[in-house]
Amino acid sequence: MAQNRRDFLKTLATIGVSTGAISAVTPQVAKAGPTNILSDNRMGVLVDATVCIGCRKCEWACQGAHDKVQQDFIEYENNDVFKKARRPDTNNLTVVNKYDSELLGSETIKLQCMHCDHPACVSACIVGALSKEENGSVIWDTDKCIGCRYCMVACPFQVPALEYYKALDPKIVKCDFCFERTKEGNLPACVEICPVEALTYGKREDLLIEAKKRIKNHSEKYFNYIYGEHEVGGTAWLYLSDKELAGEVFPKLGNDPAPGVSESIQHGLFAYFVPPVALYALLGGIMWLSKDKDKSEEKL
Amino acid sequence: MKIMIKFLLLVSLWSVGIFAQINNLRTHAPMKLDCKKCHLCDTPTKAEPCLVMCPRNKIEPVRHSVEEAPVDIVINEVDSEKDLYTPVNFSHKLHAKMSLMSGGCAICHHYNPPGKIVKCSTCHEKNRERENLSIPDLKAAYHRQCMACHTSWEEKSECRSCHELNDNIKISNTILPKLEKSHAKIKIPDKIVYQTDSDKGELVTYFHRDHTKLFDLKCMDCHKQENCENCHNQKPDFSKPQPDDLHDKCSDCHDTEGKCYVCHSNVEKKPFNHPTKTGFNLSNFHSNISCITCHKTKNRFTGLKKECKNCHKDNEGYFNHSITGIMLDETHKDLDCEDCHVKNNYMKRPTCSDCHEEDISFPKNIPGEKVRKNHD
Ligand code: SF4
Ligand code: SF4
Ligand code: SF4
Repeated sequence: MAQNRRDFLKTLATIGVSTGAISAVTPQVAKAGPTNILSDNRMGVLVDATVCIGCRKCEWACQGAHDKVQQDFIEYENNDVFKKARRPDTNNLTVVNKYDSELLGSETIKLQCMHCDHPACVSACIVGALSKEENGSVIWDTDKCIGCRYCMVACPFQVPALEYYKALDPKIVKCDFCFERTKEGNLPACVEICPVEALTYGKREDLLIEAKKRIKNHSEKYFNYIYGEHEVGGTAWLYLSDKELAGEVFPKLGNDPAPGVSESIQHGLFAYFVPPVALYALLGGIMWLSKDKDKSEEKL
Repeated sequence: MKIMIKFLLLVSLWSVGIFAQINNLRTHAPMKLDCKKCHLCDTPTKAEPCLVMCPRNKIEPVRHSVEEAPVDIVINEVDSEKDLYTPVNFSHKLHAKMSLMSGGCAICHHYNPPGKIVKCSTCHEKNRERENLSIPDLKAAYHRQCMACHTSWEEKSECRSCHELNDNIKISNTILPKLEKSHAKIKIPDKIVYQTDSDKGELVTYFHRDHTKLFDLKCMDCHKQENCENCHNQKPDFSKPQPDDLHDKCSDCHDTEGKCYVCHSNVEKKPFNHPTKTGFNLSNFHSNISCITCHKTKNRFTGLKKECKNCHKDNEGYFNHSITGIMLDETHKDLDCEDCHVKNNYMKRPTCSDCHEEDISFPKNIPGEKVRKNHD
């Protein structure tokens, strides 16, 4: 905890420093924000909804890989959950929902963080807790996260979830693209378990080629669109389906990174509106410290 | 001279070329394949065969009979599942037989170049992280293949219809129903009335329950070549079954060539009734036994003699009286039935007074000893 606060103070200090620098009117300096790498070799997952059988093994495996509460293994075979659409939450970083499909009768689709190429969440985070990594994952540093929920508001897919059940020090939680597993050369847990390989892991650019090939070879089966290729500037997770997903499964989004993306908001703020930032930071800091006080009071 | 040498050289080159081609033809020709089925380009060479990737449903399928197919195959190749499930016991021959009714071996063995049948793992890599993402990996290939037919018939993904859970998967507070490999219970109809176009009688009344319960037929006796799709078909075929198909099912036991009237009629038939048909009333002692207990020739129930002795004979050729609960002693064994059972009426008490004094009567006195009733 002490560590956290120190980190935060450090961030404050950084802001202070950049404030100083910015007064020298060099907007670029402010870009020394969070890690936000857009590597040519970034990885992705191609989700083929026409293949998914809705077995929800991906949910089970994801929970296992992230020390979440798992239900009985066979409970996942119970399709009653499909009666209403779910959203990823703190215990289910990924959920599988069932939708109607004219061609296939019904279609099951797995949802999780899309790992945007230009992640709104990363830009929105005022403490730089979120980052877009070299391999495409958008991850966060729990120690830095102050639970301010800016990322939740910023995310066009409403992915990050807050640990509301924690009265003290709630953090945001979302799919981390199995960062720890992939670092060690393993596949993301969901990709590894999927019995029908509805999830294909690979370099994003290879996946796009593969997706286009599938659409071309099986035009009778696929809706001619790869969701995620262009949405909000592109996402690491790409979706193939027999129908249009925008509007029902996903929101209809433009091809520009989300609303002017926060990148410009944030960095613009850094660059030109220093006082508000400083104010936010100050307020945030007060929040932070008082919250900690609460905690120590509770301990008493 | 130079020209001569050139010519010879050319001829020899040409013949080598021809020979090579003939050699190729030796393996390809009998297949009667269109080159384009396997080769993308017009002039494939050994170095550049430009082969089509996994030509689904395009190449001649397995070329041996189902009888030669392996019976059961244990599928234990998918490493990532070993922690969760025990190996899958795949009833290969059974599936092969079923496949004959809907597309043959090629529905699964969709890629078979000339020669030996290739294993799934020849094309489908075991490794999920791999170069060629266009071909599903082995685990996906198996599942996609099986799931194409084994779609869930209930609101459940029936993983366990093929997989048993591994012991290390702990299930809390749940009693796992035993894995049912057999078919869900099928409701057997009492009777089916077929509407036909036959001029020998439009209606055929089929007493299904009598056939299975009374005449002791097994399902497989009639349902010989059933295909899952006959019942589980997403797009059912409502065209009328042909008379030949229907007759086939009955002709093992019934004469479908000559005796049309046995089944065909213009009115719904009454169920088989033993006393009216044969004159032998079963209601007394034989009401609850299936036909085959007495009529030993299965499927062709021929008439039997009415005497009890015909079926109930003991080793010495006498009527086996023990089945009634009384084993006759030596003196009574030699008597005719009628000596005690007046007018062969076995429902009435036997009379003893024809031979014995008045004080001897049944059941006070027994003409032998009591034994357990035995119906054989
Ligand atoms: S989907 Fe939302 S949480 Fe995930 S990377 Fe994009 S903006 Fe961030
Ligand atoms: S990539 Fe990892 S964290 Fe994300 S849904 Fe899959 S298993 Fe869960
Ligand atoms: S494991 Fe694969 S098939 Fe099963 S629900 Fe998840 S994505 Fe679909």
